[in-house]
Amino acid sequence: MESTQPTPSVDLIRRVQRGDPDAQRELIVAYQHRIAGFVYAVVGRSDAIEDITQLVFIKLVRAIAGLQKPEQFESWLFRLARNTCIDHLRRQKLRRIFTPFAPEHENVPEPAGAVGSEELDALRHALEQLRPQDRALLALVQEGRSHAEIAVTLRSTVAAVKARLHRAREHLREHYQAHHEN
Amino acid sequence: MNTTKPTMKTEDQVWTELRRHASAQLRPGFADRVLRAARAGAEAAPSLLGIFSLSAATAIICLAVVSLYRSANQNPVERDDIVAGWEKIAADSDEFAAK
Repeated sequence: MESTQPTPSVDLIRRVQRGDPDAQRELIVAYQHRIAGFVYAVVGRSDAIEDITQLVFIKLVRAIAGLQKPEQFESWLFRLARNTCIDHLRRQKLRRIFTPFAPEHENVPEPAGAVGSEELDALRHALEQLRPQDRALLALVQEGRSHAEIAVTLRSTVAAVKARLHRAREHLREHYQAHHEN
Repeated sequence: MNTTKPTMKTEDQVWTELRRHASAQLRPGFADRVLRAARAGAEAAPSLLGIFSLSAATAIICLAVVSLYRSANQNPVERDDIVAGWEKIAADSDEFAAK
């Protein structure tokens, strides 16, 4: 797990809230790779990463003026990213119900070995078996977020986060090992 | 997900690989594209008054279509039956009230 990364200064967040384009760009550049990784862990498709990450930052630019506590920016941003990913997956599910033969083949899984090592394939496969909410939880932990920060992000309690995390890790381990051994 | 084989990557290494792969999917100039899209969206976003006017216009059109459809499809005999039914209900009510 990565150590917690430096958080942006409150001053930077305030400048973004005032609509300063240089500050907006600085903030996006600082977080784009972390959000892309988070999006990929939850959505599981390489071809959706850029679009969804872009959507997260567009929402950020539009909604950040309403952020009351700039010191909670990261929890707020990851909640925004999580909700955007889950909305995307729900919309995709609905679209498949109404247009089951759509040509875009939106949910065709990426073929094994297409994006990286055997271990990455196993991790992707294991993540696919989990609920999107649990994938988001595991990705938040990998982002170095503490249980308390995750509780703020998910608007939950620390105890509930710990319990869900324990179950999610168990499931991930089972699916990872099963896939890797195959 | 601790690994057992010496050649296997650790969980953290695999997650790092996942993040690296994801980062590589962002094309250069990502931040500028986001800011352009956010600005274009803000300019194209309709005002509250616009949304309200559109909703009101849609409701009026729907009501007009429904009433036109009903008046075009309801024959005079059916209408007379409905009026007669209401008159009977009114008469029964009067009779009940008089008792």
